[in-house]
Amino acid sequence: MTYQFQWSVLWSGQSGSWLLQGVLTTLGISALAWVLAAALGILSGALRTVPWRSLRAAASFYVEFFRNVPLLVWMFFWYFGVPPLLPRPAQEWLFNHGAEFWAGTFALGVYHGARMSEVIRSGIQSIPRTQFEASVAMGLTTFQAYRLVIVPIALRLIVPPATNESLNLLKNSSVALTISVAELTFQTRQIETYTAKAIEALTAGTLIYLVLCVSIASVMGWVERRVRIPGLIARGG
Amino acid sequence: MKRLLSVLLVLALLSAAVPALAETTLEKIARTGTLTIGTRRASPPFGFVNKNNEWVGFSIDLVEQAIKPVVERKLGKPVKVEKKESTPATRIPLLATGAVDLIAGTMTDTRPRRESVDFSLTFFVTGAQFLVKKGSPIRGIQDIAGKRIAAQQGSTNARIIRERVPGAQLREFPDQPAAFQALTQGQVDAYTNDGIQLAGLKAKAPTPADWVIVGDFYSYEPYGMALRKNDSDFRQVVNVGLMEAIESGKYAELYEKWFGARGEVPYPLTPENQRFLQMQVVPK
Repeated sequence: MTYQFQWSVLWSGQSGSWLLQGVLTTLGISALAWVLAAALGILSGALRTVPWRSLRAAASFYVEFFRNVPLLVWMFFWYFGVPPLLPRPAQEWLFNHGAEFWAGTFALGVYHGARMSEVIRSGIQSIPRTQFEASVAMGLTTFQAYRLVIVPIALRLIVPPATNESLNLLKNSSVALTISVAELTFQTRQIETYTAKAIEALTAGTLIYLVLCVSIASVMGWVERRVRIPGLIARGG
Repeated sequence: MKRLLSVLLVLALLSAAVPALAETTLEKIARTGTLTIGTRRASPPFGFVNKNNEWVGFSIDLVEQAIKPVVERKLGKPVKVEKKESTPATRIPLLATGAVDLIAGTMTDTRPRRESVDFSLTFFVTGAQFLVKKGSPIRGIQDIAGKRIAAQQGSTNARIIRERVPGAQLREFPDQPAAFQALTQGQVDAYTNDGIQLAGLKAKAPTPADWVIVGDFYSYEPYGMALRKNDSDFRQVVNVGLMEAIESGKYAELYEKWFGARGEVPYPLTPENQRFLQMQVVPK
């Protein structure tokens, strides 16, 4: 391998500010998509366990349709497929105001929502059925039982797999570069363009993803310890 | 954390150990009987998949008909050419790690790139222009401030636009089809790339008459074939192949095949560029 490493390309010139912009875009798109994914995941995860068949079917359709089509296809769908359905002035406005960012957010959020849904469903189904029956016997409606008892318990049980899913979401945000979102991976390529030092740029990107993910994982580890329910989830380690 | 650090350390040591095992490109080709090139699947007519689903193009022909014979003559045995896809973002790592031996696509020879790889002679000269819908107000680089401009990620054009017209809203796509789709649907107002690539894209479009290539060349894009740094024997073989082709008329024949009046993308060779190519051929 006749490659000469030159790590200084990472801090000379504009590289530093590009990487920072990339990190901010990655965090921005991931955070918004995560909120969307969590909302859709909780909703459809809960609906998949309710006693009404048509709601269960609708939620199952959402999950199976959105998680079984590749993320890349969803990126193209939201970026190329959706805007033509809007009136021309709305399209024009959107294209001038970061259409690619919003398309990327929806693609990520809806796709990961479907995956998150399964995590939440497994949490709900791990709660003994008697909890739900007891809630109803106390006079709560099904909606109240879910909102006040079932979902809060489920959310506290599924912190580890939800962390997993969140980290995946963060890393999958790099797919948005295919629709020209200038996130972290995009910016590492940008450094490559200017310096022709691809391995250095990729290494910087890799380390930044690693640091972001490890930080999120440790915050979630703290959350897990804070919200664990004694008796329902064993204390690890 | 300690374990993680030691894993990283081992990886670093491994990558440092590789140069000790390095063989020259010619030795590698002699051992494997294969010359592996990195080229493009969607950059007509340099490298693209044609209607019959064959991976062909001008750059590929230059390798197969001009460079391969010289490699075979040098090694005294037949070799076969294997093609791999290489995008602007992947081509230098592919070359550096030995996954490919030669980049024969649409790579512009630049000074920063020469710090990472070596280049052959220039085999094609073009410059950046804009592709727009017929009737567009954009007539060249002077008109793009505030407009949404698509460019290819990792290309020299995006860089020039960013420096020269900071007001343009640049959208960078990893490949031509996505950029062209964005132009078709109006996500962007113009697509900038090397003039010859735009001509290729226009020729392949469903209705070529709807598209116009506008503007003077706002950049100089000499295409070269990239190879690993400090491998002058292989570079010599590649250059001799190109020189012999220019001298013998093989280059002109291939040029006519791809860029002639009946070629894939009609793009006549200017007398100026012809002279430039000939001047690169050093005496026997």
